[in-house]
Amino acid sequence: MILHINHVQPGRSESTSGVVSTLLSLLEAGEIDPNTLGHLNVHIDWVQYKSNFREPVSIRRVVRDEELLPLADIAVDLRQMQPETIRKALSEALNGAGPDALETPRRMYLESYTPMRSSIIWTFNAVFWKYLPIWEKASGKGYEKALPGGHSDGHNAQAIQDSIMEFWEQLRKIEAQHLLPTEIYILEIGVGTGERASRWLDGFKDLDRQKGTQYYSRLRFLAGDYSVATLNRVMGNLQAHRELSSFVEVDAMNPFKSLSHLRYKVMLITLSNVYDNLPTDELVLRDGKLFFIEVRAYVPTAEATRICEKYRLPVNALQQTVEKLLRDGPESFDSLEQAMGFWQEIWAAVRLEERLVSAHNLSEAHLPTGMKPSYIEGLIENAPANIRFHLSSGATESFINTIPLLHPRGCLQVSDIFVEKLTDYLHGFRGPGKMDGSIVNWVNGALLEVVGAQSGYDVHFAPFQYRKGSKTSVLYTTQRE
Amino acid sequence: MSLPLLPTSVVGSYSMPGWLERLKTEYVLRRISRLELDEIHDTAVKAAIKDQEVAGVDIVTDGELRRDNLIDYFAERLPGVQIDRASKKFYYDFYDSVVRGKMPMAGLGMVNDFKFLAANTERVPKFNVTGPHSLVKRIRNEFYKSEEEFASDVARIMNLELKELVRAGVKHLQIDEPYYSGFPEDLPWGVRVLNTLVDGVDARITLHICYGNRYGKPTWAGNYRYLFPTILDAKVHQLSLEFARRGGEDLDLFKEFSGRFEIGVGVIDVKDHEIETPDLVAERIRKAAEFVPVDRMFVLPDCGCLHLPQSIAFSKLKAMVRGAEIVRAELK
Repeated sequence: MILHINHVQPGRSESTSGVVSTLLSLLEAGEIDPNTLGHLNVHIDWVQYKSNFREPVSIRRVVRDEELLPLADIAVDLRQMQPETIRKALSEALNGAGPDALETPRRMYLESYTPMRSSIIWTFNAVFWKYLPIWEKASGKGYEKALPGGHSDGHNAQAIQDSIMEFWEQLRKIEAQHLLPTEIYILEIGVGTGERASRWLDGFKDLDRQKGTQYYSRLRFLAGDYSVATLNRVMGNLQAHRELSSFVEVDAMNPFKSLSHLRYKVMLITLSNVYDNLPTDELVLRDGKLFFIEVRAYVPTAEATRICEKYRLPVNALQQTVEKLLRDGPESFDSLEQAMGFWQEIWAAVRLEERLVSAHNLSEAHLPTGMKPSYIEGLIENAPANIRFHLSSGATESFINTIPLLHPRGCLQVSDIFVEKLTDYLHGFRGPGKMDGSIVNWVNGALLEVVGAQSGYDVHFAPFQYRKGSKTSVLYTTQRE
Repeated sequence: MSLPLLPTSVVGSYSMPGWLERLKTEYVLRRISRLELDEIHDTAVKAAIKDQEVAGVDIVTDGELRRDNLIDYFAERLPGVQIDRASKKFYYDFYDSVVRGKMPMAGLGMVNDFKFLAANTERVPKFNVTGPHSLVKRIRNEFYKSEEEFASDVARIMNLELKELVRAGVKHLQIDEPYYSGFPEDLPWGVRVLNTLVDGVDARITLHICYGNRYGKPTWAGNYRYLFPTILDAKVHQLSLEFARRGGEDLDLFKEFSGRFEIGVGVIDVKDHEIETPDLVAERIRKAAEFVPVDRMFVLPDCGCLHLPQSIAFSKLKAMVRGAEIVRAELK
């Protein structure tokens, strides 16, 4: 058995040692097959969101070409672990770790094993954004209230002011080189309520007037979002800047698709809290060998039974009802109130079972469109032998499909939660977590740095300095010489 | 070898294979020898020439596959330039190179690379050099009082090398000055040092000016209006310019001055992986023909094909050649 302790949250050292002593005690009591231990990795390093998709103790089996291998991972989420249940949970997990273990009847599966990026949880996520106003009404709070601190860092007044000043100075420099285009394009992807855009444009207009530079009238502001409902709301909030604003339906994973006419023309592109909400895959290195993570979503049978009873559904109709919700939306139910209740409770109950799929090399991986295997090869060449990291598929794809829009002197700014160095994954792994009805994931900034370099951009990270304790950092690009 | 009407050519570089990038980087990191790298380069250059020939290109280059980027091939050869070998981690990075004293006159040793090209093609060979203006923008100057003074010495040294190349058989020479577009205010002295560079060089000389192609994206934006009237003093035969990506909106600038230069019209967008159809290429040539006499027009990509995957670069060149054939047939 290999014990991985890379991070212990403050106040949880006792729980950590409790895991070890319980394991030894189970062994001594003969409650664990000693042969299992020879192939076991126990991870008690998980730093999880409070609300997540895991059981306190999870078993991950390893397969190669659908053959179950003896190797297994056990992950202990100390945040959820209760001292009084630790023994039972570890015993059950370990006795389910062997190749002969049967599938547990305590879970009702919503899908078969699939790469994480294509799990049903991402459909839940997409449906949340599609029906956001209905969800907000049902939950009684705007989605921003679910964010840490109860509001978006993107709305921070000082951050907006500094952004305006930096951009204005950048325009001055470009103008001094006689390279400033007649039309100055700015794009915000994932525009939310439009509040940030509105404040930014107000501030820029004021500064431009003070400085007498005549830039404001040359601005062409593009509000991009995939939700038409969101764009309509933003339109209302940007009335004061209507003449220079456009509202564009944009796929966050491929902005270039709908904006290709702006190739190399956009001076500033901003995204806030978008990347952390895009589908991702995960890769694992164990002793230098490569594994992909596959998942299948389930609802614990006890929870499923309770929810079905509450909403007067036969238990065996659970999967069908979930599919109907995700396909046709809550309005397709007889009662919207009932639909929203069912949705919220299922979302709270849904869990992910994981397995590690052995791979020979990266060519077997589904890489984001435009990403070459060499990007990751270079990254993992010097990586620790045992590490699990995000492929950040959606974020990487979005990044690759956004930078061709940048003007040669343009800049991309992304406010999000980034892992800046691959080795940082040794100290913790965050996500996927549940954020009200949506998903939150840390983003592999180290990978974006490699992708950026290959595309001619240096990628930098700066801490978001405007909120104490903020985990947000700002990714920004500079042209690579 | 005589050239047809609307001769086709490449700007210089050809698709850099991923394996060659890795091997070049291996050399930079001292994991393979210079001898091994030279053999690898020879093989890659032969393949690049073959692709151009099969695509039907009339004037070919060695694909510039021996070069890491537009600067270092020259920085390593220019006498008096000191190179920090540790400053490069990936082959495409620029070396940290510096001049700390008066540059002595000496050869650059590029003739063998031309001879290799000439020996491996029956098409018309073209040899490219980066111009002095672009070179002094990347090589740090710690000696000369001005960039122009520095560039003038670079031009004088390279002038000798160009004459050596002509003696070795070069008939088509191209000077690449992409940095003109980034520093339009430098153009007066940029043209002066260019004229020093080509003084007495008995070859057909093309001046390539684009908006940059580093990492396959433009480094600058704007239009060619800044070139006029200063560029008219340049002692070159042809201007090779980028029009496919930018559209032909400033082609009309060249109507007035078409008697002064031949124009190499960029009809292939090397920053877009979508392959042009021959009809689109023909359309771009016809549009250019409204402003440039066809007997003074050459057909090229916008810039080098370095960043395009091989299959795309090859298909784009084929489309370019076919597009030129369509227009030629119409003109008959």
